[in-house]
Amino acid sequence: MSAELLRRGLADHRRALIGWCIGAAAYAAMLASIFPSIHGAADLNKLIQNYPEALKELLGVSAGITTGPGYLDVEFFNLILPLLLLVMAIGSGARQVAGDEDAGRLELLLSYPLRRRDTVLSKGAVVGVEVAIVAAAVFLALLVLSPIASLDLSVGKLAAGVAGVGLIAMLHGWLALTVGAAGGGRGLAIGVPAALAAAGYLINGLHGLAGWLDPFRLLSSFWLVGTSPLEQGLNWWGVLVLVLGAAVVLGAGTRLFERRDLRVP
Amino acid sequence: MTGAPAIQTAGLSKTYPNAVAALVGLDLRVERGEVMGYLGPNGAGKSTTIRMLVDLIRATAGSATILGLDTRAQSVAARARLGYLPGDLRLPDRLTGRTQLDSLARLRGQTDAGYRDALCERFGVVLDRPMRELSRGNRQKIGIVQAFMHRPEVLILDEPTSGLDPLLQGEFRTLLRETAADGRTVFLSSHVLDEVQHAADRVAIVNRGRLVDLDTVGNLRRRALRHVTITFREPVDAAPFAALSSVRVEGADGATVRLAAPANAMDAIVKAVAAHDVVDLTSQPADLEEIFLELYREPADVG
Repeated sequence: MSAELLRRGLADHRRALIGWCIGAAAYAAMLASIFPSIHGAADLNKLIQNYPEALKELLGVSAGITTGPGYLDVEFFNLILPLLLLVMAIGSGARQVAGDEDAGRLELLLSYPLRRRDTVLSKGAVVGVEVAIVAAAVFLALLVLSPIASLDLSVGKLAAGVAGVGLIAMLHGWLALTVGAAGGGRGLAIGVPAALAAAGYLINGLHGLAGWLDPFRLLSSFWLVGTSPLEQGLNWWGVLVLVLGAAVVLGAGTRLFERRDLRVP
Repeated sequence: MTGAPAIQTAGLSKTYPNAVAALVGLDLRVERGEVMGYLGPNGAGKSTTIRMLVDLIRATAGSATILGLDTRAQSVAARARLGYLPGDLRLPDRLTGRTQLDSLARLRGQTDAGYRDALCERFGVVLDRPMRELSRGNRQKIGIVQAFMHRPEVLILDEPTSGLDPLLQGEFRTLLRETAADGRTVFLSSHVLDEVQHAADRVAIVNRGRLVDLDTVGNLRRRALRHVTITFREPVDAAPFAALSSVRVEGADGATVRLAAPANAMDAIVKAVAAHDVVDLTSQPADLEEIFLELYREPADVG
């Protein structure tokens, strides 16, 4: 690990990072401001409870959307928040090795007395810290808004829910980093984790509907973390699997980067 | 390791996956305190060699050491004592020269900025504007400063003067001489002889991945061919001149014969010429550029 690489990686994109924080928090605030009009709507809940099971599963509805946690699970934690964090994390991971290498910016950096694996680890830390910062912004925004908009969120489940989505994003961000470290260009470094995330999302939503997908649910990071984190909390053994998976992915990145030739820009 | 040469390669080779042999069995030894020019046309294998020395790419055969440290097994230790300037320097667009140099210094754990500031002043480095606003020459200056700023024992510079104006090229040569006088070593590549002939003690010439010559600049000059033009009173047969050892007839036009020959063939030429009535005789030394082009051609003629 190089503290300077971490510092520099974060400093290079601090403006974009602030933008992500503001955007994610603003989206959370907008959802919170709409909630009071949904809160008392018993008809809406009845309507949704009459949806076919498969559709409810796809949307992530469990207890209904008229409670604060149920509403945020469906409207935010099941799709929009993972999407925001995934786009940011994959973009960052792909930029840090594949993007910099494509642009010829690794040539000078790697001539400095740093181990290549430390370079990968430092860049992985940049991705992790970026995800953590945006996740923290969302957490703080919802923590403040919960009493104001009567969302009635449990602090523990909110923290766990944000952390769970952050973990999904970090895993895919590290995969982007590792594809780049293995020698894939920027397109591949974005494409591989994006495809994995999309597949994971679909499997999680559809495995109940299409029985043959059921065994594959174990490969879906969304399913592993748990579908309704604010209502039901996280699936802890799934979280453990993802943490180990992320470590293996980043570890593979350090190995693969260590042994290959740097591309000529 | 004291006493180990600044740079040494043994059978250093690189064959790319597409079967292109970029470098074939390079054996080279660069002594400490020496400035060595590494010359060759574009695509000869210069950057391939340099990128293996800096451990950016890996040799497919052979090995290399810097100050006795293996460039693969002791890569980090070797790079700690190295200053490197890439042939195609790319720096982050948004950073200013100052932030860039500060960050690079911290990456080395370097705290003393005195020499760096002196270099910046000497080369008139623009420090407070983002990279994307700088001309190629101004970016190159930042590259030169970062390579020299920690006073490394060995400097490996890939086409360092590209983009520099002539005034700064002079300043750069002075810097090279100072560095060598300090007992430190410079290995610099170029595809133009002129860039290195005033700064380098020795010159290694590569073409098509092979070392084709290694000599001092002075010796290269001595080995240079002379262009001898002789005008006779009457037309003569050029064949006897062509028969002389290491002499080449470049043209025969009635009474005028043009020859190319090294210095040690002059005596034989003058004696052969004396058999005829001579009106005029001139001899001009070939410039180094010409020798250099000659060396470039050689392997092409063979294979």
